Amino acid sequence: MASGMQEKQYTPSLLSFFIYNPKFGPREGEEEKKILFYHPSEVEKNEKIRNVGLCEAIVQFTRTFCPTKPAKSLHTQKNRQFFHEPEENFWMVMVVRNPMIEKPSKDGKPATIEYQEEEILDSVYGAVLRQCYSMYKLFNGTFSRAFEAGGVELLRQKLEKFFYRYLQTLHLQSCDLLDVFGGISFFPLDKMTYLKIQSFVNRVEESLSLVKYTAFLYNDQLIWSGLEQDDMRILYKYLTTSLFPRHTEPELAGRDSPLRPEVAGNLLHYGRFLTGPANLKDPEAKFRFPRIFVNTEDSYEELHLIVYKAMSAAVCFMINASVELTREFCEQLDALVGPQLTLLASDICEQYNINRRISGPEKEPQFKFIYFNHMNLAEKSTIHMRKTASVSLTSVHPDLMKILGDINCDFARVDEDEEIIVKAMTDYWVVGKKSDQRELYVILNQKNANLIEVNEEVKRLCATQDMTTLKTVSCSCFNDSISVMQ
Amino acid sequence: TASREQLRVRYGHIIVFLQKGPLVLVSASKSHQSELQLRSELLHVYHQIVSMLTQASINRIFQCRKNYDLRRLLFGSERVLDALLDVMETEAGFLLSAVQCLPLAPSTRDTISQILQKAITPNLVLSILLYNGQLVSIVQEKMVIEDARLKSTDLHLLLNLIRASSAFQTGEIWTPICLPCFNPDCYFYTYVAYLDPPDCTICLVLLSTDKDAFYAVAECKRKIEEGVRTHNALQCISKVQLCQVCHVGVAELRHFLFKPLDVPDHHSQLPQFTSPEVEAPYSTEEKRIYLMDLYWHLHSRIHSTLRPIKLLYHATQRETLLALVTGKFEMYACFSPLVTKSTAIGAVTKLLRWIKKEEDCLFIRSPPKYSTTPPEARGFSNSRVQTNKTLFGTI
Repeated sequence: MASGMQEKQYTPSLLSFFIYNPKFGPREGEEEKKILFYHPSEVEKNEKIRNVGLCEAIVQFTRTFCPTKPAKSLHTQKNRQFFHEPEENFWMVMVVRNPMIEKPSKDGKPATIEYQEEEILDSVYGAVLRQCYSMYKLFNGTFSRAFEAGGVELLRQKLEKFFYRYLQTLHLQSCDLLDVFGGISFFPLDKMTYLKIQSFVNRVEESLSLVKYTAFLYNDQLIWSGLEQDDMRILYKYLTTSLFPRHTEPELAGRDSPLRPEVAGNLLHYGRFLTGPANLKDPEAKFRFPRIFVNTEDSYEELHLIVYKAMSAAVCFMINASVELTREFCEQLDALVGPQLTLLASDICEQYNINRRISGPEKEPQFKFIYFNHMNLAEKSTIHMRKTASVSLTSVHPDLMKILGDINCDFARVDEDEEIIVKAMTDYWVVGKKSDQRELYVILNQKNANLIEVNEEVKRLCATQDMTTLKTVSCSCFNDSISVMQ
Repeated sequence: TASREQLRVRYGHIIVFLQKGPLVLVSASKSHQSELQLRSELLHVYHQIVSMLTQASINRIFQCRKNYDLRRLLFGSERVLDALLDVMETEAGFLLSAVQCLPLAPSTRDTISQILQKAITPNLVLSILLYNGQLVSIVQEKMVIEDARLKSTDLHLLLNLIRASSAFQTGEIWTPICLPCFNPDCYFYTYVAYLDPPDCTICLVLLSTDKDAFYAVAECKRKIEEGVRTHNALQCISKVQLCQVCHVGVAELRHFLFKPLDVPDHHSQLPQFTSPEVEAPYSTEEKRIYLMDLYWHLHSRIHSTLRPIKLLYHATQRETLLALVTGKFEMYACFSPLVTKSTAIGAVTKLLRWIKKEEDCLFIRSPPKYSTTPPEARGFSNSRVQTNKTLFGTI
């Protein structure tokens, strides 16, 4: 009897994640000592040892072919393993189960499972694994420093504490090209407003001499940063996927919302702390700022991360962790920054609305594209309607996103300007252009067009409004240099 | 746990593992080939080994002695495997699973085919004439075609075996060869002779199922030689003008591969492709490998198992590539990097036109057949297995 069941599609999922250092248990019988972290922890000890041993063996084996480049991934029918050696001899391995289709049992035959190996792009999940390390390092510093400070025990504790929670936030089914870029979305601003912000930052830094670095964001997009690119990039990811989503705007909350009372007492400004003291009015309340580690390659600085928000504007102040931040200091900061930031936030909002009125209402974006600039990490996507850690709503079919991933892999091979145009089975056109450290991917739904017409369309895209907003705006502020995107 | 057949490791190099029966094959590659393509290359290597030993005997040997060193049986055949690896890097036949025919006027080809068709003997199943590795004519036994199709892989492996051994160039050779895709467990007995010593460019291959038929098959060769001399066919063959890319009439076109797909199945012909001589800037061995690597990559994107595409246009600093697949054909073209998109698209039209004009010369449309099965044995559709044993001796 034929079964009425449908095919069931399983998305990629995390099978296991472990961190090891072979130097910690080099002798036979000591294998368990190598393992610094293993998820899922319920796995039997011998199996853990076996899995780690297999990875070690593969890394050793592949070294014979290419001593300088370590193994990156292992493909098998059912899963894919990714390897990353972020620090010498410390290895991180992520095992992802391949997406599969379960076909229901039919005519007495058992249900079959078809594994879709090609669905997973190495570049995407390799980037996700590297980001796991970057995020750990942002909040915990390097593995070697932890080991130096408190031996294997301290390192194990830190890893357990961080990854136990962090792995739960990994949503592997929604990873795509944007994870490869790990870029930053910049907020489009005119020169005047940008200068206002810059002078605000200067003023605050002068008044609060403890502040070492500042970053300024509006609407989940970056405007200014005093941090190094790589540090800002991971901090940005943390802010936009973890911190900001946790704190919705109280002034937008309804009258009866529990969030309301926070603002009631303070009519001078809308500023508040997102990290640190939740309520300045309560003298008994304890607070703590998260610590972050930046410049780990050279100066290795541990800093307090103060995130202060007023309406849609958020400022990060980073202060040396050796300083004790008192309630008085927070009140000082609140009094200084609150009003100014509130004003600035409404200024930006007004300016933004004016610009929008000039440039025309933003209807459904005409072109579906993704842009990324390797030099300033600026990224823009009109394909992703909302991208947080848990969800990636894209307005295009996932197969098309994978084609973008394929094109990106092809681009990564050579360091030259290239162009790739693909016509998919569904008659959608995908155009990838790489020029001068910038990549642009456009998806066109023009079934009857030919190559030449598609080319013309993309040229139009590059010349239209969409690209000019990218032009005027994004000032990349890393290390005080302003470079305007073309 | 992982399925052992498909273990691969990746890091700039790709290492691919393939397990077939008791043998494990490993490949380490720096090329742009995908894992699937590397795996299929390993499969070809496996099949080449089978072509020399048969699968049945490999399995049997390892069943009896698990530690057997197969190199003992493969002694002397390393150059066959080496040659295979080299030829897979430079020839498109493996990539496209198709064979290339010598462009020949249909009348000449027909004349030659008829000569082959007439020179038969009982148990002869396949007669092939080649010029420099390109197919001049192929004639197959009727019943054999009905039972099982000859695959292009078998032909490639057969040709590689013959080309790799210089011994084949001396006089007449009679040797067992297995056609692994056709039937991996038994041998055909193969007669090989070059019709034009000492140049050794025109090769005659006759396959029989009877291991004692050397003299009868050698007699066929004599008849073929006579027929070929009468019609001056050897001259016609050696004077043939090979395809050149300039014939198509697109200045920026450097090279192409074209494989027709709309072949009706009842023609039961081998899949074929056509391609011009490789010219500058790809004339060196290194550059040929480079060009083929580009084609391998295009092919893997176009025929991706989960997200195949219809068209791929890739413009780089060194060349512009265009790959296109429709229901009727697939083609891969390489242009100079300065080509415009309109020229590239226009080239497709020009190429199609040129192929249409020349197709009778470029492809063998309906391979002729002969019948060598005695009439009594013809009613064997009920007892196929039985008849297989009579037709094909096992070792």
